[in-house]
Amino acid sequence: MDERLQKALEFSNYNLTITNQKKNIKNRVKQLQIVHYTGGVFTADQSTIAFVKTYIDLGHRDGIVIDSKENPIAISNLQEFLEKLMTAYISSAQEYDVEYNKLRKARNIKQIMGW
Amino acid sequence: MNIEAEKGVCLFAYNNEQIDYINLAVLAAKFAKKHLGLPVCVITDEGTYSWFEQSNTDDDIENLFDYVVLTNVEHPENTRLHHDSPWTEFTAPFQNSNKHLIWEYSPFEHTLLIDIDYFLKTDFLGNFMDAPGVHMFNNAVNLRNDQPHFNERFLSSQGIPMWWSTVVYFDRSEISKLFFDTWAHVADNYNYYQMLYNFPSNLFRTDYCVSIVVHILNGMVPSNAIGNFADQKMVNMSQRDDLCEVVDQDNWIFLSNDNEKNWLDILVNHKGTDIHLMNKRSVQRHYNKLMEISNG
Repeated sequence: MDERLQKALEFSNYNLTITNQKKNIKNRVKQLQIVHYTGGVFTADQSTIAFVKTYIDLGHRDGIVIDSKENPIAISNLQEFLEKLMTAYISSAQEYDVEYNKLRKARNIKQIMGW
Repeated sequence: MNIEAEKGVCLFAYNNEQIDYINLAVLAAKFAKKHLGLPVCVITDEGTYSWFEQSNTDDDIENLFDYVVLTNVEHPENTRLHHDSPWTEFTAPFQNSNKHLIWEYSPFEHTLLIDIDYFLKTDFLGNFMDAPGVHMFNNAVNLRNDQPHFNERFLSSQGIPMWWSTVVYFDRSEISKLFFDTWAHVADNYNYYQMLYNFPSNLFRTDYCVSIVVHILNGMVPSNAIGNFADQKMVNMSQRDDLCEVVDQDNWIFLSNDNEKNWLDILVNHKGTDIHLMNKRSVQRHYNKLMEISNG
């Protein structure tokens, strides 16, 4: 086989593998961002966190928040809810950072696999 | 069966001459206990349970399953074609006709029913065990993060969406009872529903039954009578994929086969999410290592 084509195919396989691993990490992070709170299911993303913080900043201690299934959930302690969201966000972001950097430094498929 | 505990995990295991379901159930039970910390109930038959007693230590027999339900069900003939990588295939009886009876078999108020090839590597499902009603997955991806083949997403070309009976969570509410009663009705009239919904007729699949039940309970329109685990996707290792190496608790390395060019594979390191290992023989090849890490 032409050496140029062989190198291109090797890179293609490497690229396919690393792209798939990045998707795996993103799926994992999405799952870690799920927060179950007073019967609702929420995603600890930046917009939810900012919304709850705004609620609190406007002087509310409790309130209604629409969850990811579009159900209205009465939150009796917005501060506690915010802390739960932040905990989930921080741990998921930290895991994302660690795993993403491992992939970024991987120069071959063996390293991508962590073998 | 009487309710004996608040929460727990149930597994069906009926051995056949090709697949040692009860030993796979042992593994699935160990992973479930490790990550959810809940009691496990196995639903099996006398022959399978006798093999379990012969092939495990007294300590394991005592501790692996907290509840054992022995059934004496005459399963109709239902032969399934299995693959072990793209290069090997075999057929085996598929005994799933009484899966809806889990409503009666389960000793738990809140039950998580998982197939013996579904491995819990996280506590994700445990967070749903206070939820009301029934939850199942209606989204799946393969190891390449692609959607499954069309016929694993819809029952037919103009058909309803597929729901997976691989993992079923339920409580003891009226909606749950209605769900299982309707499942029994669909199973009893499978040929009629096969004509009505036009799904493949060669195999009795509980995935088809639950998909129809969801469609009926939703009022024949997209709705949310049944939960879908916060819209998360179930990860399926296809029977054409292979488990190459179990590195440690979380690092499992697979060969993911290309459906269209079956001589092509890529390596995938799957970690941090639960996984449906459909190639059962590949699990059996790594049985000892998986047992070892499930104890760790």
